Amino acid sequence: MTHPWKEELNKLLLQGASYADVRYTPREDSAALVMRNGNLLAFSAGSERGFGVRVLYQGAWGFAASSDLGSITATFARALDNAKSTARRLSRPIRLADKQVHTGRFTSPCLVDPAQVPYDEQVAFLRRVDTALQQTGVEQRMIFLRTQSRLTEYYDTQGAQIVKEIREIFPYLGIQGRDGDGETQSRRYSPPRLGPTRGWEIMQADFFEEQAARMVRELNETLAAPKCPSDVRSVILMPDIMYLQVHETIGHPLELDRILGYELSYAGGSFVRLSDFGALRYGTDKLTVRADATMENSPGSFGYDDDGVEAQNNLLIKDGILVGAITSRQMVTEANDKMGREYFKGSGGTARASSFRRTPLERMTNISVDPGTDGTLEDIIAKTEKGIVLSGDKSWSIGSNREQFHFANHYGYLVEDGQKKGVVRSCAYSGETLPFYNSLAMVGDERTWQVEFVPNCGKGMPSQTMQLGHGVPVCRFDNVKVGE
Amino acid sequence: MLQQMKETLLALREYALERNLQAQLSLHREDSHLTRLANGSVSLNTMESVTSLSVTAYGDRRTATATLVCGLKDLDMMRQAVDRAAAMLPHASRLSFQPTLPSIPADSTCETGYDAALAQLGSAGILDYISDAAAGLEDEDLTLGGSFSVGGTAWCTLSTATPHSVSWRLSDAQITLVLASAKNKWEINAEQSAQSLDDLDPKAMRRHLAFLKEQYLTREAVRLPLGPVRVVFGAAATAEYLSYLSYLGLDGSAMKQGNSIHREEDIGQRTLSHKITVTEGPDCPGAFALPTDDFGRSRGTAAWYDKGVLRGFIWDQGAADEYAQTPTGHNLAHHSFALQPGDMAVNDLQALAAAPRDTDILYVPYLHYTGVVSPSEGLITGTSRFGALLLKKDGAIQVPYNVRFTEKLEDIFGGKLLWLSSESTVYNTSSTYGSRNPSALRVPRLMCCDQINVEISNKSY
Repeated sequence: MTHPWKEELNKLLLQGASYADVRYTPREDSAALVMRNGNLLAFSAGSERGFGVRVLYQGAWGFAASSDLGSITATFARALDNAKSTARRLSRPIRLADKQVHTGRFTSPCLVDPAQVPYDEQVAFLRRVDTALQQTGVEQRMIFLRTQSRLTEYYDTQGAQIVKEIREIFPYLGIQGRDGDGETQSRRYSPPRLGPTRGWEIMQADFFEEQAARMVRELNETLAAPKCPSDVRSVILMPDIMYLQVHETIGHPLELDRILGYELSYAGGSFVRLSDFGALRYGTDKLTVRADATMENSPGSFGYDDDGVEAQNNLLIKDGILVGAITSRQMVTEANDKMGREYFKGSGGTARASSFRRTPLERMTNISVDPGTDGTLEDIIAKTEKGIVLSGDKSWSIGSNREQFHFANHYGYLVEDGQKKGVVRSCAYSGETLPFYNSLAMVGDERTWQVEFVPNCGKGMPSQTMQLGHGVPVCRFDNVKVGE
Repeated sequence: MLQQMKETLLALREYALERNLQAQLSLHREDSHLTRLANGSVSLNTMESVTSLSVTAYGDRRTATATLVCGLKDLDMMRQAVDRAAAMLPHASRLSFQPTLPSIPADSTCETGYDAALAQLGSAGILDYISDAAAGLEDEDLTLGGSFSVGGTAWCTLSTATPHSVSWRLSDAQITLVLASAKNKWEINAEQSAQSLDDLDPKAMRRHLAFLKEQYLTREAVRLPLGPVRVVFGAAATAEYLSYLSYLGLDGSAMKQGNSIHREEDIGQRTLSHKITVTEGPDCPGAFALPTDDFGRSRGTAAWYDKGVLRGFIWDQGAADEYAQTPTGHNLAHHSFALQPGDMAVNDLQALAAAPRDTDILYVPYLHYTGVVSPSEGLITGTSRFGALLLKKDGAIQVPYNVRFTEKLEDIFGGKLLWLSSESTVYNTSSTYGSRNPSALRVPRLMCCDQINVEISNKSY
């Protein structure tokens, strides 16, 4: 079926719009399987279609979306009306940074489309992993599998035509038990990037059984362990918590819309000011961070963003100094105007929308820490006098400007005089963002570096959940407050 | 709208019955309008019209669900969703229990919570409200941000067991206005929840913002010392803690899974302060309360904590089936919890600031980005935000930088609780993730707790 997108876009131009784009999703298929304690509590498959229209009129945005393909003309008219209404309260007309106009296609790397895998095979996989988790000490078992396949067509009044077909698969395992005080302890696992593709081919039962066995062992160690001491020491963050540290205290505060105050009423702002770019020492010179949407096989790689801008690899922090941000066409012009110079040379290509019914926002791509030169985990432990190795993202809470944080972990063990010591339970650490990264003492090399996937980054109003990645090594930070 | 939705579902019911399929069929329809503000401007003005169908097929100890987002008239696509659920069902593995298919005994339709004048307010009405609420408050440094979400939600569900349906329609608005200082990086806010047009009160928003603005412009900023402090929580912060309590304390499934602060033997025991009575049910004004659940069960309002005594756990049908319990009428799009007010006749910030005090009081209206550190301990961490004040015992007022607390629910609602306001208010907890679903809690306007530990004290607002 051919839809009259270009005709409708041209009509908007004739009615005075300076720019418009439409994202049409002819098909989005998703599935969710949830098995708890062997019971398949959720076995669902979803389909959706619809379109969203964004219009810029006299410097004001309007947006409308519908799941009804019988209402295309009315929805386009509604988007224009919304933009016209917006113009009534507009202190600074929106300008979009220039872009190259693309005609292109992006397909995420996938060998076996999860939607083509027989249901019986999917359920049998969950059963097998559940059996592996059903061990002494484990009181609750949870396996979650979510798959998604979305086809999106993008057209704009500048002539861009982009088709994206993105498939995702997010498995998750979780177990719980009770410690000697009767409190619940848990261990979870979501796989990092496992190869060059991410279709059903990553669902190797032997591999997940190995992970299940490790989880059970670590949970039982935790259940029998003493409480984590409350003191100040070095924390050695494994990639499965380092990714979240980066996500919350580098990724979010460097979203340019947050810096410019567009998220203040909900998600919050950023401690970063425009005057900090090129000057702020964010961390020690061991810290180099980039927003790399060109990384192979990650949910944070998407070919073209929803402004129609090609994906890029941009530095955010270089040798500890803040140099870049997560940017889109709209925000870079506003930031440059406020800075009085053209600091941002163009859109960083990070505007993404979670669905046809949502508008694009600055979203993290793959916000990654470059590997360092401090060797393996064992090398780092050997050089640590008083520390703790922490793993797992049990809970997280961050200040509204991302200036401080509190993370709890599933698993941890102490380090004394370069030696691994006992496991401890109820681990947590907290700190202030800039002092924390300025205490970065050791960065593991490529052998410790892995790409963690995030299926559920929340932002915006109306709220949007986005998928992305973080390439992170093992890192050691000194003088950190630990304990509940 | 509801009639059209019911007719569509009845047609799908016939289709399912022709295929000998047992199924629950539900339609959700939203017409949403959200105006977003930042830096004094409207940054986004959106409208979404979305229809969602859910089909859950029931078999011998198994279920399978197909969902579809499409147009309300796309009946062929909807039939395909029925076919899909039917095709999936044999592949679902057997459960250890038999899930119960809804058998709705009689039609139930509720539209008393729908006010077309609110649901269809339109951009002009929204911008008029914003202009009134912010009149004279902005300047070169202080600019307005926030969001005004308004719309209508319609829901209809039935099953193949009977031709009867449960349907409801609600209008709602959730408004947050933020006055932000770009220079000093502080933000103050005012919030409002509305179920009808008459609930909108921009002047009240303005009064609150103006009072806070005056404090933030004229009072000294301070960094609090670490350690215990007396805290008066505002409605947003109290609602945040109550929301956690409703799950970690009262959800039967969470209790069975070890994610609760209670165990079954706690029923009948005083687990919280005698000042705490928590109810849930349709008698909760302004909280989008529903009179009937999706199984057609009429709902009454019950006290789940009664003067601190735990009276039981809440079981939806699925959890009741799984754990062999009696369902409590909670198969709902949203609950309507209320923390009953207390006896302290201090019911707003201005009255609190004016009241004599024998110790410093930290006023915390809002908690930002809370997290559950330990569910079985009810240990919650979060940071103060949006207009906190330090009310000194000598009567002076200061503006504190943000602080972090990590406290247990059983302490907040237990030994550390000093008093609750004598009046309650509605706090809107609607989320705009996924589909529109208006929800709110009723809480005392203020809640005072002692010995709240400041564990991190920051150098910024």
